[in-house]
Amino acid sequence: MDSSSLKSAQLLEQMRLHLATDAGKELTKKVGLVYQLNIAPKKLGIDEEIYVVDLKKGEVTKGPYQGKPDATFSFTDNDFLGIATGKTNPQMAFIRGAIKIKGSISAAQKFTPDIFPKPAKL
Amino acid sequence: MAMRHLITGQNNCDPDGASSSNPFGALANAVFGQSSKAQILYTLTYSESPFLILECDRGKVDVCRYEVRAAASRVDELDVLNKLSLTSTQLSYNYTLFIVQSIKELPGPAVGVPSTSDFSTAAPLSTVPGSENEFKQDQRPLARLLQGTDFIRGGPANDWVESFRPPTLPDFGRAESRFAEFEQIYNNAGTTFGPPLDGPPQRVLSGVLHSFLASGRAGVPFQPVPVPALGLSESEKQCIRDRSCIMARHILADQPEEYIQAQVNTLLHSLDIDNQMKGPMHGPYPEMEEYWKQSQSALRPAPMHNAAHNWVTEFGRQSNSPDDWAHSFEQQFGPNGWASGFEQHQSQMAMGQMGGANMANLAAMEQSRMLAQTLASNNDPKFQLSQGADKWASEFSSEHNQGGQSENWIDEFSKLNVTDEWAEEFSGGGFGESYADPWADEFQEQLSASRQSSGASRGVYVFSEMNPYVGHPNPMQEGQELFHKGLLSEAVLALEAEVLKNPDNTEGWRLLGVTHAENDDDQQAIAAMMRAQEADPRNLEVLLALGVSHTNELEQGEALRYLYRWLQNHPKYGALAPPQSTDTPYGPDVVRLFNEAAQMSPDDADVHIVLGVLYNLSREYDKAIAAFKTALQLKPQDYSLWNKLGATQANSVQSADAVLAYQQALDLKPNYVRAWANMGISYANQGLYEDSIRYYVRAVAMNPKADNAWQYLRISLSNASRADMIAACDSRNLDALQKEFPL
Repeated sequence: MDSSSLKSAQLLEQMRLHLATDAGKELTKKVGLVYQLNIAPKKLGIDEEIYVVDLKKGEVTKGPYQGKPDATFSFTDNDFLGIATGKTNPQMAFIRGAIKIKGSISAAQKFTPDIFPKPAKL
Repeated sequence: MAMRHLITGQNNCDPDGASSSNPFGALANAVFGQSSKAQILYTLTYSESPFLILECDRGKVDVCRYEVRAAASRVDELDVLNKLSLTSTQLSYNYTLFIVQSIKELPGPAVGVPSTSDFSTAAPLSTVPGSENEFKQDQRPLARLLQGTDFIRGGPANDWVESFRPPTLPDFGRAESRFAEFEQIYNNAGTTFGPPLDGPPQRVLSGVLHSFLASGRAGVPFQPVPVPALGLSESEKQCIRDRSCIMARHILADQPEEYIQAQVNTLLHSLDIDNQMKGPMHGPYPEMEEYWKQSQSALRPAPMHNAAHNWVTEFGRQSNSPDDWAHSFEQQFGPNGWASGFEQHQSQMAMGQMGGANMANLAAMEQSRMLAQTLASNNDPKFQLSQGADKWASEFSSEHNQGGQSENWIDEFSKLNVTDEWAEEFSGGGFGESYADPWADEFQEQLSASRQSSGASRGVYVFSEMNPYVGHPNPMQEGQELFHKGLLSEAVLALEAEVLKNPDNTEGWRLLGVTHAENDDDQQAIAAMMRAQEADPRNLEVLLALGVSHTNELEQGEALRYLYRWLQNHPKYGALAPPQSTDTPYGPDVVRLFNEAAQMSPDDADVHIVLGVLYNLSREYDKAIAAFKTALQLKPQDYSLWNKLGATQANSVQSADAVLAYQQALDLKPNYVRAWANMGISYANQGLYEDSIRYYVRAVAMNPKADNAWQYLRISLSNASRADMIAACDSRNLDALQKEFPL
């Protein structure tokens, strides 16, 4: 059982598995960027858990990135899930102030729902 | 005061810039040729200076006008020059216009003709359709501009004033002859030129500069011209140097850097000016910046100052005598003129570091920034747009590397800033989904969607609005029948009618919950199940269903709780659970307990099912698969079990196997929306987007309310580069989608 209680953690776990597959390798070729995600359970900036989605090497790790990520996102658990499943429009979320973004804009623009694998429903 | 006179009296701008009352528009028309439509997009009024953006199909031109105070005519011109020359290289000929005309000092209507020949490089006025009248009218403002003092040397204000006596215009015929004459002049490479080289210094200077231009235009290298001492002051030299750099770059835009440099050097050498150009053009007006900085520090605090300061330091230009220059400028134009003129730019200067970007980029950014401002003041949703844009800008610029990337940034930023293109550009290019207009609608959708979802996640069931079954005598039975027939959405309605009638009908709520789960709506499923649980807290099926739905919603804690309670409430295994009920059961403990239960009665499929779900939670997928397989041996006809198996396999990235399991489920229950959606997911996760689209379409065809499936469909559409169908997806146009993507 993962120590994290975030829903996002589970999604990222799946992402980790996904990246080992062929489709995941495609992703690293297609995107090739490093994203750092600061995910807060309830409110932005509080009790953030930091994950790194490294689409260069194809791995997902917990903890801040050693080096400079191409883009850093800060959002809440639900918002991240929304983005990953395509429920939330990242643009809208950004404008609403629900997401904070740092780093390269072009990298941020590539942070789309299609890089995330979708969870199948039991 | 060419500008001023063009401006004053024109306090409004016509929407159609081509009218005669707006000389700027006429100028623009002349500049771009009649063939292009000049429209005035926006007119913002800053504190004192109206600002006009002129757009034509040649590209954007910023035509700035300022109400000039005192004798600060040159401010306008410089600014216009800045804008025109640097906003787009297409407009280089405009720049030439100003420069040529102002230094030529040719009196009278003859001036009008040469100016047109300038334009002729891009859009020959002589060939442009248009009445003679128009032509003449165009001549007028041009002529005004054309005459006037040499802008390099300050001239008293009244020179400008006098220049506005409308010259007697040539008629078309004479114009043509002058045109020819001038053409000839241009075609000669430089040295044969009107004003003799031993005329008054101004003339000489203008002659030299003009021939430099001519040579540039004619593509012939400029020959060094020996000139007598012109007595140019240091500041003037600086000016000339700067100007010629810019001009050279524009005229010789297609030439290699060295060539440009050489040309400029030659020119400057002729004029006996030290060339202190260091590498690529850094920024033409460091003295101006210096002055500006000084004025800014007087007017405004830190940020602008820093920006200007950065400019100055970064561009690393030495100003020999900035103070002298500043003073002389001041004398001529009054200290406020420039400051006020540049006040407008302050807000746009808040871009932080410019890096090694040249002025062109900066101006373009300014322009886009100003557009952003415009947009901000325009429209509500668009206001949010530009706010976002500002954030992007500041965030980006604070992180941005200097140098080469600024181009990209500019492109992106200016892309980002144009009204409608924002949405498409940003979303289409970036997020893989098209969120085109209307913004407002989408926002509303999001709001309502979130409202609904928040309602359901709190366990509040949302009833359907138009329920035909409400008056039905026996909706429960009806519901059950519909459910068995596989008409899930209909069953929902019937069951809703039932529970409206009998709110304590556990079975009604339970079946409703199950139906929703099979319809791929976990939110509603949870809500319904909660009601069922209220009615009967010990119903095992309810508890299991709740556990499953919470697992799907990634709510681990909740799921564990319900599964644990399943165990506790089970007549056989309840004894296994420790008597004290805990609200936060510890996962591994629960698993252990279930394993014990399984050993107790290995033929109880349910235990294995719960085990399977538990292992899903702990992501021990292999064990989960094993558990489900065991359960399936016991219950091979349980379609939902096949689905669970498939989902487990899918989540453990064995998507190929998952598809087989789903297929089994669908064979047993063809209308199993969840399985259809899961199929789509499996294909999508493997990158087989085309296939996934078909399955998604099937799923939403069966349950148009399956929001998840719609979202995934949209993602797959964009991944498969089927942006054309995204509109159909957005509008939930099932017919179109089904026709396009049959199974």
